[in-house]
Amino acid sequence: MAVALRQPGWYRGALGALLGAAFGFGLVVALRAISGLDVFQTEQTGYPHVIVPLITTPFGFLFGFGAFDYWFRWAAGKPTVPEDHANHGATRWQDYFKFNTDHKVIGIQYVVTTFGFFLIGGLLALLIRAELAQPGTQIVDANVYNGLFSTHAVVMIFLFIIPMFAGIANYVLPLMIGAPDMAFPRLNALSFWLLPIAGIIFLGSFLAPGGAFDAGWTGYAPLSAGAPLGQSFFNIGVQFAGASSIATALNFLVTIITMRAPGMNLWRMPLLVWANLSTSLLVVGATPFIAGAQFMVLFERALGMNFFQFLEGGDVISYQHIFWFYSHPAVYIMMLPGFGIISEIISTHSRKPVFGYRLMALALIGIVVLSYSVWAHHMFVAGMFDWLRVPIMITTLLIAVPTGIKIFSWLGTMFYGKIHTYSTSMLFALGFIVTFLIGGISGVMVGMVPLDIHMSDTYFIVAHIHFVLFGGSVFTIFAGIYHWFPKMTGRMYDEKLGRVHFWGTMIGTWGTFVPQHWIGLDGMPRRVADYASQYGDWNLVISVFAFILGTVQLVFVYNMIVSWRFGPKAGNNPWRANSIEWQVSSPPPVFNFDQIPRVVGGPYEYGTPGARHAIMGDEDELELPEPKPSTVAGPA
Amino acid sequence: MESASLPVGHAGEHEHHGPPDFHRSARIDQTVLGILIFILSEIMLFASFFAAYFFIRVVVSPDSWPPAGVELPVLIAGINTVILVSSSFTVHYALEAIKHNNHRGLRLGLGMTWLLGATFLFIQLNEYVHIGFSARDGAFGSIFYGLTGLHGAHVFVGLLLLTFANIRAWRGHFGPEQKNHLGVEVPGIYWHFVDIMWIVVFVTIYVI
Repeated sequence: MAVALRQPGWYRGALGALLGAAFGFGLVVALRAISGLDVFQTEQTGYPHVIVPLITTPFGFLFGFGAFDYWFRWAAGKPTVPEDHANHGATRWQDYFKFNTDHKVIGIQYVVTTFGFFLIGGLLALLIRAELAQPGTQIVDANVYNGLFSTHAVVMIFLFIIPMFAGIANYVLPLMIGAPDMAFPRLNALSFWLLPIAGIIFLGSFLAPGGAFDAGWTGYAPLSAGAPLGQSFFNIGVQFAGASSIATALNFLVTIITMRAPGMNLWRMPLLVWANLSTSLLVVGATPFIAGAQFMVLFERALGMNFFQFLEGGDVISYQHIFWFYSHPAVYIMMLPGFGIISEIISTHSRKPVFGYRLMALALIGIVVLSYSVWAHHMFVAGMFDWLRVPIMITTLLIAVPTGIKIFSWLGTMFYGKIHTYSTSMLFALGFIVTFLIGGISGVMVGMVPLDIHMSDTYFIVAHIHFVLFGGSVFTIFAGIYHWFPKMTGRMYDEKLGRVHFWGTMIGTWGTFVPQHWIGLDGMPRRVADYASQYGDWNLVISVFAFILGTVQLVFVYNMIVSWRFGPKAGNNPWRANSIEWQVSSPPPVFNFDQIPRVVGGPYEYGTPGARHAIMGDEDELELPEPKPSTVAGPA
Repeated sequence: MESASLPVGHAGEHEHHGPPDFHRSARIDQTVLGILIFILSEIMLFASFFAAYFFIRVVVSPDSWPPAGVELPVLIAGINTVILVSSSFTVHYALEAIKHNNHRGLRLGLGMTWLLGATFLFIQLNEYVHIGFSARDGAFGSIFYGLTGLHGAHVFVGLLLLTFANIRAWRGHFGPEQKNHLGVEVPGIYWHFVDIMWIVVFVTIYVI
């Protein structure tokens, strides 16, 4: 036991968490004693005895778990080896529960963990739909309902969609660019372990006095500044999730810039790499804004500071500006990696090059630039500056242009292609295009000031965001998981169950979210536990479809677990795809390659006889042509 | 240890004990690029506080800024600015010294930088004690302590990094090649950022 407590791992992690909690609690007691306050707060406004340990306990756990061991050795001036592979790779299932620095292990850790959070968030959604199935109060009261929709949104956004994309890219991206690992493997592992911590904090808020945080996922101040203790769990949890995504984005950027295989200039990068490059630019630039906003709310709550209190000279609207300056780019953080996944799948399963490859890449960059200029379209009715409305409306509508380029390019890619719909990933890609198109068009509708004034805070908004986030992001996530499942596990999933899952999800999504447009236009408000009885019939229909949608996901869980264990061997390249990750074994060896592959052509040269994307290290080099110099200059 | 002496990545060798060397597709060092991107993120964190500052100052109380009865100690803060800015030069001196294999200059430069940074932080805390209003005193107090406190936290982190660099400098771990003095260069880049950010904070809060 004493040995176990000295080695990094779960025992030392638990001890560290205990010490961290004790340190945080002691710190509060000591500081209060020094400054002459009651040692134990009795009036309980800011709950410092809870929120300080809430910050120190995770750090204690991470210290104990071994996340900082290497950096501590470095900081203390002890000899260290930068290429330390002690925590690298997985040979047993237990290795997936360690602080592991292998990008493939971390990718699977991400995908499995975030899918767990998807199921939890889905259960919260079903509780919401159970409550809304009939007018009046069914199973929860209004306060609990507020907590339910807030946690549903936060879990789905911060713990499922954003990190799931990070997880898929973590697995695939270094393979795609011919790198043996990410640029900073230890930072990569730390980013993963921050996530379950954020999840525990978010869900732990249900145990706080006053219930879970209930000011919505937006947590608008000053409402959130005066909310019960659970809101502080949101403020702190967002910091952990945000730090995780910033660290991952930084890692992706450095990896993509410095670790591409020879011959892979910018215009030979697969679009998934382009998509993650642009997403990471958004994360690095925008996520600090939500960190800042939540810091300020936390300071208001815990320290009695005033940033947003009008009577104290603060600006009420400024919270919304700062929050949406992150959170509008965030919807593209939740969408661009999906665009990349879809480009890979559509091209592979249509056996055609991506139509307008360069424009596809430039459209991603265009979305990145434009998305920083549209934040205030969430605030048309918030009482912000009048002069800002029309400019923001124009940029909002402009952003439909690069998005439209992508949609038309996917259609162009499929045009006269040999479309293979036997693969569930392709079905989800096709379903994505149709569903996301509807969500995109309703986005243009709510982007227009006059319509938005009518539809603000109605179910139309709920329908719109679920069409883009479920029909968009979640469909691309499923497509991506089905597409790379053979690579990650070395086994094939059951296509029949996959088709059941696809059609169930498609019908469930449309059945759930299409009627919400109609009742929204009629004026049913969102975020309210009860509603006028005239909406009762449609709400019952919506709830039934929502439960179908929820149940069908169990088929997916069964398919994945059983296929992972017993599925037939997949082989290296079941989809006959060109990109580098399919040229190595499934699953790939620990360090991906024996020799770094050489890239000699574009990634989507399907249908061109003799065209190659990459030459693997073990192939006979004499028979192969020299890499052609690219016509467009990229960084060498 | 025989295997370690074999040429790594030899075509016929199928077993090896580490990853193949990755292909460097950019000339910049990975750690340096990493800290630059991290600083981009940090700038945006400061920007969120500056956004709050200007909303409070320009939108809510354009006529009464700073609030009546508040005198900011511009002179002391100005002296503090000079102290912090000069520490940027000393850390640059340390880096140049180690590039020329001058270990004594490295230790001198890093030590001076650390002392100047600590002096800055001490004066800043002293200013908090004597300034006469607290973070709870209206939005002005909150955003004053918010911005200067956020910056002070960054100085503290920078000092920690410099502490580590000092330890390793005294142990003689650094050398003239870039990969051997990243431990000076990277904290140095961060320190320059902290400096420049202070100039922005100082000008915004104390001068204009």
